[in-house]
Amino acid sequence: MSRFSKSILVLALAGASTAGFAFDKYQGIGRQATTAEVAAWDIDVRPDFKGLPKGSGNVERGQELFEEKCASCHGSFGESNEVFTPLIGGTTAEDIKNGRVGGFVKGDIPQRTTFTKVATISTVFDYIQRAMPWTAPKSLKPDDVYAILAYFLNLAEIVPGDFTLSDRNIADVQKLMPNRNGMTTDHGMWPGAPAKKGGIGNGGKPDVKNVACMKNCKAEVQIASTLPEYARTAHGELADQNRSFGPVRGTRTLGPEAAKKAANATTLELATKNGCMACHGVAGKIVGPGYNEVVARYKDQADAEGKLVAKVKNGGQGAWGSVPMPPNGHLPDEDIKTLVRWILSGAK
Amino acid sequence: MANPMKIRAANKDGVTEVKVLISHEMETGQRKDANGAIIPAWFITELSAKHGDKVVLQGEFGTAVSKNPYLAFKFKGGAKGEKVAVSWKDNKGDSRTDEATIA
Repeated sequence: MSRFSKSILVLALAGASTAGFAFDKYQGIGRQATTAEVAAWDIDVRPDFKGLPKGSGNVERGQELFEEKCASCHGSFGESNEVFTPLIGGTTAEDIKNGRVGGFVKGDIPQRTTFTKVATISTVFDYIQRAMPWTAPKSLKPDDVYAILAYFLNLAEIVPGDFTLSDRNIADVQKLMPNRNGMTTDHGMWPGAPAKKGGIGNGGKPDVKNVACMKNCKAEVQIASTLPEYARTAHGELADQNRSFGPVRGTRTLGPEAAKKAANATTLELATKNGCMACHGVAGKIVGPGYNEVVARYKDQADAEGKLVAKVKNGGQGAWGSVPMPPNGHLPDEDIKTLVRWILSGAK
Repeated sequence: MANPMKIRAANKDGVTEVKVLISHEMETGQRKDANGAIIPAWFITELSAKHGDKVVLQGEFGTAVSKNPYLAFKFKGGAKGEKVAVSWKDNKGDSRTDEATIA
């Protein structure tokens, strides 16, 4: 490439003309998205109804469609709480008048539903069109979405049963949404300038404040509070509920006795998993000797552990009768040692 | 007067499935309000469903039933265009009947 053509390219980019020029920079990589591809992707419907497709649908048609495609998960009345949270319910005529769901203001709302939360009907339109039905998203025509929305609005007692929702009256319906005044954008995650300066957010100020200590910091961390004695067991054994790796372990809330028991329980599990318990009882013979019998015979021998580890590993026959013990070479040595120690300590 | 029930009834292969969403507080009489006063019990005691003149379902409800109960049942018979009526009575003496056409 000559210096001359390079400068033309730079000029073209600086001129911010069509993206086609930008692609020339990456010859042979990718291609310009076609208008149809962009249109298929660009389906969002915004709260000012930008992007809303033309169409209409009535409550009756919506009910048919809902029974057919939606009710199996959402319930016939959008009331089901089995698969997803309910769509409809929890709103009153008062809420529709105020534009704020009273249950949120008083804090006594028993169950949030889509219609108690959502502030804009366009959002529901967008979501259904984009993501529903679960098994076949984007399969609904705009008229279908209008019809289903009309059915929702009727279930939520916002519109009468003979209502037809369309792109022309959806803005009027928006003025009846029960939680239309319930949305706040005074959070750092909303982009742009603060609301006072014509933006929609708070200018990027985070919701939480964490100031790093730069001077006169505490030299040492002191534990200021601990679980009171009576509350230690309130949630069971915390040690078992924390990860076994990483810097943090749960404390043994049930005390050292329980810790020992828990350790033994896992060994019993290990013994069961590896088939030991099929032939050996903890307190009696099954096919092979019971662990109590093993302990009785070996307890005074100094090298009992080593001897038994070898026996478990290689198997044996004769010491307890004619039934052979199969070799267990496939077990990790560590597991065999754990098992033998557990047996010798009484297998409790 | 209580809010209307929502009823759907559909016939398929000679069996009519009815789904009902009842609008009722269903207070158990065990809850207390913010001042510690007991909220008086208020619940549906009797419910029945009729297909024409024939009773197809009858039930005694109590405090164990949730607020705004959902009820679904099936009965043999029924045809498109016929009516199903559901009615309830509550312990305050209020009652309500709503009707739906079988689809």
